[in-house]
Amino acid sequence: MWDAETIFALSSGHGRCGVAVVRVSGPASSTALRSMAGLTCAMPPPRRALLRTITDPHSREVLDRGLILWFPGPHSFTGEDSAEFHIHGGPAVISAVLQALGSLAGVRPAEAGEFTRRAFHAGKLDLTEVEGLGDLIHAETEAQRRQALRQMSGDLGRLYQDWSYRLKRCLAHIEAFIDFSEDELIEDSVISQVDGWMCALQGEVESHLKDERRGERLRSGVQVVIAGATNAGKSSLLNTLCQRPAAIVSPVAGTTRDVLETALDIGGFPVLLSDTAGLRDSPDPVEREGVRRARERVEQADLTLVVMDSTLLLPDLQQAPALLQGYIRSVLPPQDDPHTVKCVLVLNKVDLIPEQQRGQLERELAGTPSLPPWCLVSCTSTSSAGLQGLLVMLQASLKALCGDPLSAGPPSLTQTRHRAHLQQCVAALVQYRLFRDRDLALAAEGVRLALSSLGRITGRVGAEEILDIIFRDFCIGK
Amino acid sequence: MLLRKWWSSLRHGLFRVSWARTGYRAVHRRYDVIVVGGGHAGTEAAAASARVGAETLLVTQKIDTIGALSCNPSLGGVGKGQLVREVDALDGLCGRAGDRAGIHFSVLNRSKGPAVWGPRAQLDRQRYRHFIQGELQATPRLEVLEGSVEELLVEEEVDPGRPGRHRVTGIRLGHGPPLEASSVVLTTGTFLSGSLFLGQTTSPGGRIGDPPSSAGLSRTLKETLGLEVGRLRTGTPPRILKDSVDLTLATLHPPDQHPTPFSFLNTHTHCKPDEQLPCYLVHTTPGVDRVVMESLHDNSHIQQDTKGPRYCPSIESRVLRFPGRRHQVWLEPEGMTSNLLYPQGLSMTMPPDMQLRLLRQIPALHRVEISTPGYGVQYDYVCPTQLSPSLQVKTTQGLFLAGQINGTTGYEEAAAQGLWAGVNAARSALAAPLLAMSRTESYIGVLIDDLVTRGVTEPYRMFTSRAEFRTLLRPDNADLRLTLKGFEEVGCVSAQRYSEAVRVREGLQEAFVTLGSLSQSASDWRKTLETSSISQSKGGTLTAMELLQYNDITYDTLAAAFPQSLAPFLEFSQRLKIEAVYRPHCELQKKEIQRIQREEGMSLSPDLDYLSLPVSLSHEVREILDRVRPTTLGAATRLPGMTPAAIVHLLNFVHQMNHNQNKINQNQNSRTHRKPSGPGPREGGQRAGAVS
Repeated sequence: MWDAETIFALSSGHGRCGVAVVRVSGPASSTALRSMAGLTCAMPPPRRALLRTITDPHSREVLDRGLILWFPGPHSFTGEDSAEFHIHGGPAVISAVLQALGSLAGVRPAEAGEFTRRAFHAGKLDLTEVEGLGDLIHAETEAQRRQALRQMSGDLGRLYQDWSYRLKRCLAHIEAFIDFSEDELIEDSVISQVDGWMCALQGEVESHLKDERRGERLRSGVQVVIAGATNAGKSSLLNTLCQRPAAIVSPVAGTTRDVLETALDIGGFPVLLSDTAGLRDSPDPVEREGVRRARERVEQADLTLVVMDSTLLLPDLQQAPALLQGYIRSVLPPQDDPHTVKCVLVLNKVDLIPEQQRGQLERELAGTPSLPPWCLVSCTSTSSAGLQGLLVMLQASLKALCGDPLSAGPPSLTQTRHRAHLQQCVAALVQYRLFRDRDLALAAEGVRLALSSLGRITGRVGAEEILDIIFRDFCIGK
Repeated sequence: MLLRKWWSSLRHGLFRVSWARTGYRAVHRRYDVIVVGGGHAGTEAAAASARVGAETLLVTQKIDTIGALSCNPSLGGVGKGQLVREVDALDGLCGRAGDRAGIHFSVLNRSKGPAVWGPRAQLDRQRYRHFIQGELQATPRLEVLEGSVEELLVEEEVDPGRPGRHRVTGIRLGHGPPLEASSVVLTTGTFLSGSLFLGQTTSPGGRIGDPPSSAGLSRTLKETLGLEVGRLRTGTPPRILKDSVDLTLATLHPPDQHPTPFSFLNTHTHCKPDEQLPCYLVHTTPGVDRVVMESLHDNSHIQQDTKGPRYCPSIESRVLRFPGRRHQVWLEPEGMTSNLLYPQGLSMTMPPDMQLRLLRQIPALHRVEISTPGYGVQYDYVCPTQLSPSLQVKTTQGLFLAGQINGTTGYEEAAAQGLWAGVNAARSALAAPLLAMSRTESYIGVLIDDLVTRGVTEPYRMFTSRAEFRTLLRPDNADLRLTLKGFEEVGCVSAQRYSEAVRVREGLQEAFVTLGSLSQSASDWRKTLETSSISQSKGGTLTAMELLQYNDITYDTLAAAFPQSLAPFLEFSQRLKIEAVYRPHCELQKKEIQRIQREEGMSLSPDLDYLSLPVSLSHEVREILDRVRPTTLGAATRLPGMTPAAIVHLLNFVHQMNHNQNKINQNQNSRTHRKPSGPGPREGGQRAGAVS
């Protein structure tokens, strides 16, 4: 809201496109342009497109090659210094550029309609244009609201709501202690209780921020590892997925000895697919090294495709679920719980199972909810059945891993914004700890800041709401 | 003869003779401002109005009760103390009265940070009343008259240059002749259609022992002016005889050893440190709960569903809401020589015999005697969203409301509104623009903004948690925030107080420059101050200003190390320390404040017809705007239920209006030479801060 801040947003339409336009406005626009387009001294000529390599300002990593434009104020859409990046429209590139911008000091994601509002304040829009602005903002906020609702109904939403509620309660208890403890039975233990809550909360937000590697995954590719026993058809699966004979396949168990990587695009998500050596005890030192590398890969994987030769489940199909669970445990690292770890069970060579038994197998598996997502395929050099189902399943898993930057509205932007707000939230929680013993008013200020950062994700919090909690939790008599 | 009478009345605190005479003369005069009511709001309003320069009359039912503390014998506290400091910074009465009448001073929240310190004092009721009465009597342009207001005089003929459908012309007392005035401030407290509740009995009135006010005033407000009125309730505890209390069974609560005065003008309180009286703390017992439950059927106040406060509830509602809990009861002295104690926390409305039974359930009170029973009051309040930030009724030119009539509770809240209403009533009468106080600059601003934009659902009390900019609105800097403005822009501050505030401001500024220029390496600081609070790993240079932010480094420590440059500012040592610690945080808040101020600079005319405004607004939003009629865009954004889209449309509308207005002005200028016009009450005008 403050014009001293620089804002950015994806200005081109949402959805997959050839070229995406990211717009930046505010005093730090020139810095952003200089640090990301490798301009050492002079700014480019105004309003002229220049082809540059766009890099991350901190890591210097190349993000894309695209056009940049420089619009010095006041001759720009918003009347402020502005810049545009015309980049490739892939979600990974967009997400990377947005995150890079967000990492610059004094630069933050734009609020709904903020560019237009700035333009309006600068007198850059005539009144007929302004007429549409309210509707635009309405539409955007409506979309955001719906998007927020959608996100809020998920686990992530529940998590943020829970934090917000807990933080509100912390603040209410601190405020009660400040405003009422001198007259009422509100004891010092209230604050030590709050300390505990705040500490736990801060830990959770921090680990959430650390865990959330989605942006990085999207940029560098999701590590998908194919693993399983020898001769399960892992290399065939790789070849089928990348639609070329990238790996040597043979009926001889232990053909693949090293890790084989190929880059793939599955449903728009960049994937680094690794084929690994079949897991077995072998006296051959070369194969043993292959198995060690395979296990290492599985440990580092974002997603593991556990492949099994489905004919091994015959004849007693009732035992199949138990057998499979044992198999998954043998493939995944011992400390991982197969229910929480991202993995997909691929039962290969189903074409070798008679039709009738295949039906029974499917019923058995469907009746075992503790299994990870599974599908039946047959990947040989000649045929590939069930591949469509596998791809759909993979796409769903990838979407869960990376977030979906292209669904209605710009969620990648939302995520960048969430991240920024969560980081502010953590910084503010640190302020609480810093001042808690020195000055409770300044400590409370930290909690207020934390709550307003979180409130920007989950909805605003007013003083009245805090007072409501105070009066519910405490008997205030004076 | 006359002199002797006056003297004797002064000694007894009875001014009726001399004041009524003044009043009698007054009947034939026309006033700029008439203030109705002599409580905390009324006295501050009358004094402020006279300070601004208006010929002012204060009308009260009983001159003797001017400045009376109807309920608790104390002033200030957390949030409330901030208000007292601000009223004092604007040259109001209550801070100095508190310093004069205080008999037990303590700064609450001492351990929680200077922004939330709560200066508070137990008061001697008589001394407080005497001081207020003496101050009013010594105020030039202020007269006092005893009488009951029968009618508020209003006309349909309004000043066309200002918004409003009615215009106030004066009041009528009893059946006497009308008293004319340009502005009237109503501060009727709990007397507007007030009823007293004690057990099963109900009687009309606003305070026990005082006659009820006439129904005429209430009728004018509701029927003639069509104001929306609600009903609230409050209560007061029984007063008990000190001799009948076994104080050995209570916990002694001593005052601060060094009393801190409320007023920026005072360096000492009237009461000497060792003359102060203690308070006592006791707790309720299960027996108290039992008596409450047994007396419920005999307690008509608690049975009625009129909204009472959540934070100053009667013991009955506390027991009902939180059964089985032990509640604190403070036994507070009522005065230096008073034989009464005030049991804070035990306001009750049950029949007197049950009150006695209840009190005696508390060990220290097992033989207690009651001097006056507690009782409840229900009263009308005018929904404050019908007021402008100047506290003028939006539809009625010249009518201002302050205090409990606006749905607040507490002396300090009343005093703050009274002062502001008095200022604006005087300015209105003197044809000066009306002023608004921003919530970014004072608790008074927070209070008034909350009232006029959000309204109340229960008696409104100030808490520090209501102020978004709490770290800026501190008790220590109220003079810098308000005294200068109060003199330069508002006109309610004396030249003497102003020059003192200027001296302080310049002293602080000079001290900060000096602190910023004293710079040396961290290791040198460690040597100079012989302190361990600068960590060994800290390198580089540090200024004295940065050092002052350290927890255990005081200004005095620094001044001892650099006496030549720092000793001259030792009188500000506490303020400098506070400012040094808070400054980095306040810098952050200032950005947000600027945004709010920009939005508050855009005024919305009070007579906009939101229901038919040719702007794209949803019906819901139109209804909210129509009901509340925010005076600025900033106030509109704080309304519950407003959408960002609606704000943009409103913003556009305001721009368009201003644009058109400028065009008209330009055309007029080109055709005629404009006469230089004096200040006039241009409500909703372009001048920043000038609002209706």
